[in-house]
Order: sequence, then C-alpha cells, then structure tokens
Amino acid sequence: MRRFNLFPLYKKGSCKSIACKSNAPSKKLRCLSFILGLFLLSMNSHAHHVLGRPSYSLNEDSNTPPSMAIEAQIGDYFVTYMVFPAFPKPNEAGRINLYVTRIDDGTLLDQPVLFTVSNDSFLARDVSEEIGTQNIDDGIFRQGFVFSESGSYIIRAFFEKDGEPYEIDFPLQVGPQKPFGLIGGFIGALFVLLITVNIIQRKRIARSKFQQGTPTP
Amino acid sequence: MTMTHPGLPFFWVMTAISLMLLLSVWCLMSKAPQEKSARLYPLARMPFVGAFFRFLNNNTWPLLLLKIFFASLFILMVSAGLWGSPIVERNLATALTWNLWWTGVIIAVLFSGSAWCAICPWDNIASWLVNRRLWGRATNHSRLNLKLPRFLRSIWPATLLFIGFTWLELGVGIVSNPYATALLALLMVVLATTALALFEGKSFCRYMCPVGRTIGAYSQLAPIALRPIDNDICRDCTTLECYHGSDDIAACPTKLVMGRLQENTYCTSCGNCTQSCPSNNVGWSLRSPSHEAIQVARPHTDEAFFMLVLFALTLFHGLTMLDSWQQFISSLAQSINDKGQLLVSFSVGLVICLATPILFFCGCITATRAILGKNNTASFTQYFSGLAFVCLPLAFSYHLTHNLNHFFREPTKWGDLIANPLGINAEPLSMMEKHMRHSELMVPEQVMFFLQSVIMVAGFLIAILVIRHRGKHLFGASGLKLLPMLAFAFSVTLFSLWMLVQPMTMRM
Repeated sequence: MRRFNLFPLYKKGSCKSIACKSNAPSKKLRCLSFILGLFLLSMNSHAHHVLGRPSYSLNEDSNTPPSMAIEAQIGDYFVTYMVFPAFPKPNEAGRINLYVTRIDDGTLLDQPVLFTVSNDSFLARDVSEEIGTQNIDDGIFRQGFVFSESGSYIIRAFFEKDGEPYEIDFPLQVGPQKPFGLIGGFIGALFVLLITVNIIQRKRIARSKFQQGTPTP
Repeated sequence: MTMTHPGLPFFWVMTAISLMLLLSVWCLMSKAPQEKSARLYPLARMPFVGAFFRFLNNNTWPLLLLKIFFASLFILMVSAGLWGSPIVERNLATALTWNLWWTGVIIAVLFSGSAWCAICPWDNIASWLVNRRLWGRATNHSRLNLKLPRFLRSIWPATLLFIGFTWLELGVGIVSNPYATALLALLMVVLATTALALFEGKSFCRYMCPVGRTIGAYSQLAPIALRPIDNDICRDCTTLECYHGSDDIAACPTKLVMGRLQENTYCTSCGNCTQSCPSNNVGWSLRSPSHEAIQVARPHTDEAFFMLVLFALTLFHGLTMLDSWQQFISSLAQSINDKGQLLVSFSVGLVICLATPILFFCGCITATRAILGKNNTASFTQYFSGLAFVCLPLAFSYHLTHNLNHFFREPTKWGDLIANPLGINAEPLSMMEKHMRHSELMVPEQVMFFLQSVIMVAGFLIAILVIRHRGKHLFGASGLKLLPMLAFAFSVTLFSLWMLVQPMTMRM
C-alpha cells in the first residue's frame, strides 16, 4: 500500500493591481473583472468521466460498509469499480475493487491491471503516479490506497488484451469538496454584472438629462 | 442494484387501444367540425371559491409570501447541494429537484396552468437582485433595457437549452449528483439575472427558459388561466395598464395585452395585470380544456419546433429508463469504440431519438399533402407549424403518465430530509429501505393504472380534435384526408403505451 503526497495545493493570488486604488469606474470594473478572473481560476474542476452512486455493499472487512460503485463500459468489457469507503478521508486506508468481464459471455479478465492516479483539480500538473499492478484475486482486482491530502483525483485502470490496450478513468474524491471557488465565481459574476449595468445606466440617464438641458442631480 | 417498476398490465393497454380505435373510426367517419368560441368561467364570480380568488386578486402579499417561501427553499436546496452529502437520496438538492419539482411541475400544469412561473425562484431571485426591491416597479437605474437581438427573439434558445438539460440530466447523470444539481440551479439564476439586467422585459422567461416554455406550451391544454373577468371592460379600455403597468406595478414582463390574450404560452401568471388593472378586471378563470391548442393558438415555426422537440424528448425520457435502451447504448458503444460513461453513444442516441419523431411527423405531413393533391393550397411550413399542435396532447399525456409512476411509486421520506437537508452523517439507502420504498405506493396500484390509461386515451382524443380542427382550418379536410396525421397520433400513442408496459427503472 503506497502513501501519496501529490501536487501542492494551488494558492490564490491577491489583487495588488494599481487599478484597484483608482476611483474611476472603468478601473473599478477592471479590478472587479480581475477579481472575478481569480475566482474563476480558483474553481475546482470536477471529475467528468463517470458518475458514481454510493450504496451499501459487501466486502471481506465488514458486512455493510458504504461504497461508491461506478459501472462503465470499454470495448468488449464491462467494468465495475467500487471504492471502500465511499468517501475516503486523508490518511485513511481505502481500497479499489475492480471487476472486469466480457460483455458478450461474462468471462472474467485474466490479465494484470495497472492502476495509476493523477490530480483532477483545475490547473493541476498533468502528472500521474503509479499505484500498483494487480492480478486477479477471486475474480476481483484489489488495489489499496492512502491519500495524505484532500482533493479530486482520477484513478486510471490500464490493461492489455489480445494486443489491444484498454484504459479507463474513474473519479475519486478524497475529503470534502471545496465549492467556494465556484460559489465565488457565480457571486463575483453577478456582482460585476449588476454594478456594471448600474454604472452604465446612470451614465446614460445623466447624459440624456444633460442633452435635454436638465441639470444632473 | 437497479430496481424497476412494473409496467401497465395487458388489460388496461387493450382497453386503451380499443377506445383509441373507436375514436379513430369516429374521426374518419364524422363530418368536419364547427368552430366554437371558448367559454370562460371567472373563478372570482363563482360561489364558494369566488371570495378566495377575489382576495388573491386584490392583495399582493400572498403571492409575495409564496415567492419568498420558494426562494428560501431554493437557497436551502442549493446549499444542500454544495455543502451537503453526496448521497443522492439523503440530500435535499437531488430529492427536491428531481423527485418532487421536476415531476410535480408538469402535473401542476394540469391544475394551475402556468402558475409555477409566478413563484419561480430563478426569476424572482434575479428580479430581487436586479431591481433591489421585493415588489413593485423598479427604478430605471438598475437595468439597461436593451432590445434583445433579433436572432434571439424566438424560442430557439429555450429549445437548445432544453436539449442541453436533457443531455445533462440523462447523459451526464446530474440527477445522481447533488453538487452538479446545485450548480445547474445557480447557473439558471445567473442566466436569468444577466438577461434581466441587460434586456427589456423578461426575455429569459419568454425566450430562453426551457422550463417556462415547457410550462407555457403545456398550459395551452390547462383548464385554468389568467383572463379578463368582463371582456366589455377590456374592449373599452384605452390606457392598457395590463400592458404598460401603473405607477407602482411593473408592465407585463412578456408584453401581453389582457383584452386580446388568446394564448397562454407566454403568460407567466406574474399577477402584474391583476394588480395594475384599475377595474380589477383580471383574474383566474376556468375555461374549456385544450381549446387553445385545438383551434385558437396561432402557429409559429419556432414554437412548432419546440413542441416537436418537447414531444421527442418526452418519449426519449421514457425510453432511457427501459432495459432495452441500456442494451442499445452498450452495443452502439462497442461499435463506435466509445468508453467510460458512453457519452458519445448517448449523444448519438439522443440525436436519433430527436430526429425520428420529427422526421416521422414531416413524413405524415408530406403524405397529407400528397393525398390532397391539387387541393393543397398551403405551404409545407404552414402545415408543419399548424399541425405541430397535435404533439402537445401526445407529449403531455405521456409526460403525465410517466411522471405519475415516479410520483406515486417513489415516495421520499420528506420528514427525514427536512430534518437533515444536507444529509450530514447519513448513510446510503440499505437494500431493505430500497425494497420498502419500492413497495410503498402512495395510491393503490390499480388506481394508478386506471389514471394512466385514462390520461393516455384523453391525450389521444385531444390529438384527434386538434387534427380535425386544424385540418379543416388549414386545408378544409375531413374524413380520410386526415388519415396520415391520424396514423401519426395513433402510432405515437401506441409506442407510448408500449413504453408504459415495460418495467421502468426506479429513480432513487
């Protein structure tokens, strides 16, 4: 069982632009856009490969541990991927169980499966690390893991059959998700929009009053 | 483990088909129908309920309270999705959105027309954010009031968003992801706010909202709508407060004049007209169900496409919950070397399922034109948009019967969810709980089968009435000349019944 310490967390920058100190509306807008850009850049990207479904399952350690089960298909094979526990925490031992059967006759795959992991966070470096290669054991490929940091990861299972490579990605969320980046993005976008509209509209009204010869209040 | 609901029994299917055959014979043998004017029964003038509806018309606070309640529920739902448990059935976001709202909003159209739009949290939160007030007419500082670009002034944006929604719901599977559900809800608020801040009126509601347009289309069949209480008062009105608004009340957000209103499609039931009318002459009325779709509503090409897409996606919804669909997608994925969640295969399947009913419809129109021969005076587009109304009752009836299955057979423990909306420390459903839910029907099974059969036959009957009236209006035809369109309605209803017979995958 290997311990991971992958990928330092992305740190948000702070706004030190000169534009922030100015009171001019256009500069304010630029500053707000910059803040919004930072929010958007700090958003998490989420696993978009396959979605899982937590449920009760059986394994050899306990009769009712919640697990995350995902079913997928690749070529001639039907793959079931289960993670124990369903929501692993940092420094907590977990296990991946992989069942691979042929779609046509249900025959079990008899080749070793290589498991690798990569960070699925937005702006993460495209680096993957090998977790291990597992042979079939009682119809199942079992791979243990321990993650030291929370985050969104992608587990890739790779095998070859009849000279043809197969690889399939599964999401793995360790620890809680961090939704603040997205929330910040949404709130920031709305905030910028409403302020921009208000400023533009006030200018339009003032210009219109000026053109009509009415003093601006 | 996937659990399925049992399908409609053979007896009910045969009964429905027999009635459909009888109706088809009647349609082919009877003379062309006579035009009838719609009857309206203002609820404010009815005994017993009249006082209640007059109270609703004269007071703004009940509607405001409802808006605040649903907006609060929406914020709770979004919070649960973002910060709550990822367990689908234990999180309020997924349970409320997909099990109750998405199912119930269609059923609600039958009883309340487009009333949901009045309390829709997407629009209300957007309005509060932009106008910075809870009620009444806003200052002109908060909105740019730009004209919507011409290319967006149709319901094509809503049609495309609806297809996108379906792809996300059934393809990506956001129904089983509380976080994605909450993000989608927030995205809709951002879209509504952006449109409201930039453009005049409520362009999001009128042109872009897929839910609003679905409700608008179906509400043409609803027996209830906002209408003038006394048409003579509207006829003599020169100030048109319902259209322009008053000093305190905003104008109609979708630019409708109540005195001339014939179609419910774009009415969002916001109540501005009931409040601004100086004669208190606008209120909820009962009316002949489906009269609007049968003969009153004016055909438009974009609306016709929306109705066809709505119809195709409704059937597609049912299809994806059958075992045979999974097998089809699996085979398709193997043949095109798709892997993982099979999104490419799903997208191909979606396109096929969208195109097939539309092409079938076009084929039936072509056949009708061929039968008419020299008597054919209208263009293909006129036939297309005029006869597309036939899809509405067919889509609505299947949508209702399908949703009844979800609604009655998938009871959610709302007490537990309200007590713990974020699902903190909750465990997934055990196998015992799944079986319990499966066996706990809200109504006796035979009652549900009866309701489903009645709704399917009623949908077919309304489709026939649409064909007869629109057929006469478009090409003065009756009898055998209606055969291609009748075949369209019959075969589609037959296909819907076949889907209802199949066991349907349960949505937890």
